[in-house]
Amino acid sequence: MLKKLKSRRSQTEKWPVVTEDELRALGKEISPDHVLGLRAVTKDYLCRLEDNIYNIDFTRFKIRDLDTGTVLFEIAKPPNSGSVVNEKDSMDLDVAAGRFVRYQFTPAFLKLRTVGATVEFTVGDRPINSFRMIERHYFQGRLLKNFDFDFGFCIPNSRNTCEHIYEFPQLPDDLIRQMVAHPYETRSDSFYFVDNKLIMHNKADYAYNGGL
Amino acid sequence: MDKPCFRALCCKGPPPPRPEYDVVCIGLTGAGKSSLLSRLCSESSDDIGPTTGFNIKAVPFPNAILNVKELGGADNIKKYWCRYYQGSQGVIFVLDSASSNEDLEVARNELHSALQHPQLCTLPFLILANHQDNRAARTPNQIKKYFELEPLARGKRWILEGSSTDNLVAVKESFAQFINLLEDKDTEPARI
Repeated sequence: MLKKLKSRRSQTEKWPVVTEDELRALGKEISPDHVLGLRAVTKDYLCRLEDNIYNIDFTRFKIRDLDTGTVLFEIAKPPNSGSVVNEKDSMDLDVAAGRFVRYQFTPAFLKLRTVGATVEFTVGDRPINSFRMIERHYFQGRLLKNFDFDFGFCIPNSRNTCEHIYEFPQLPDDLIRQMVAHPYETRSDSFYFVDNKLIMHNKADYAYNGGL
Repeated sequence: MDKPCFRALCCKGPPPPRPEYDVVCIGLTGAGKSSLLSRLCSESSDDIGPTTGFNIKAVPFPNAILNVKELGGADNIKKYWCRYYQGSQGVIFVLDSASSNEDLEVARNELHSALQHPQLCTLPFLILANHQDNRAARTPNQIKKYFELEPLARGKRWILEGSSTDNLVAVKESFAQFINLLEDKDTEPARI
C-alpha cells in the first residue's frame, strides 16, 4: 500500500536536526528529507515564487468537523481583482502572492478532535509525476505536528481536491492556554515538492483568541 | 461552542481505529460520482460541477474508512485513470442508468477495460447503476444483462446495485456489502 490518506507518522522527532541556514548553505535543491529535520518555522521562504514552474495554485481551503459535517472554516481565493497592495509591506505582498495566510479561530477550535481539512488546487500545462506536501506546525519553538501527504500524479490543467483527516494532537491544557494567550505565535510552513524538489513554500500563522 | 457531542466524545475516549481501504472511483462524466461521495460524507451536493482532476476523500462507514480517489470522467481526464490504479484495493464504478444508448455502450467498454486491467483485475468491484430516481433509468438487472457481467466477470468479486442520491440508506447498504468484499480480500482469498 503505497499511498495513505492519513498523513504519514514520519517520527520526525528522530530525524537529524537541520537549521534553515544549513539548508540555504547547501546551494542545491531542497528535498523532503531536508525539511523533515527542521525544528523551527523558517524566518524566510526557502524558495522563490518563480520556482513554481508547474503553475500550481491553491484555490480553496476548508475545515469541517467530521462528527457533525459542519463546515468550520472556508476560504476561497478571490479572482484576481487587481486590488491595491502596499508594496512597502512585505506581508501584504506575500498575502497577495498567495503564500501567506493569517487565521483567527476561537479557543474552542483547539478542543476539536477530528476534522477534515480539504485543500483544492489547480495545475498548469505540465503533468506532474509526483506531488508531495510536508506541512509543519509550531508553537513558539516547539513542533506540534508534522503532515506528510503524497498526492502522486497530477493531470495537466486539472482542478483537484484532497480532504485529509486531521487528528488534533492532544495538547495539554497549559499549552492550549498559552496558544490562546499568544496570538499568531502558532505558525506553519507548508513545503511542496515535485519529484522530490521544493517548488513552493507557503506560510501561515494562527490565533485562537477569536471572540475573546 | 459548547456542543454536547464534544463532551460525550471526551468522556468515552477515542474510538478504536477502523480499518482503512484505498479505493479508486471511476465512471463517465455525469454518472454522479462526486455527488454520491459528497452525500456519503454528509456534505451537500448542490454546488458540484464536473470533476476536472481527482477528488480524494476519506468516506467513513461504521466498520471501515474508505480512502477514495475519485477521478473525473470526461474524455480528456479518463485517459489518465490508469495513473491512479496502483495501490488500489477496490474499485467503485458509477454509471448513469438513464444515459443514452451510446453513452451506456461507452460505459460498458470502460468497465470491461477496468475489469481486465492488470492492476485492477483481482480487486473487488462495486458497480452502482446510479440515477435510479430518473424515470428513464434502466433497472439494475437490465444493466447487469447489457454489461454481460455474469459471463465476463465470472470468478471476480463484484456487486451491482441500483443507486440514487435520494436514497442514501440503500447506497450505504451497497457500500457495506462492498466493504465485506474488501475485508474478505484482507484475509486469505476465498473464491466466490
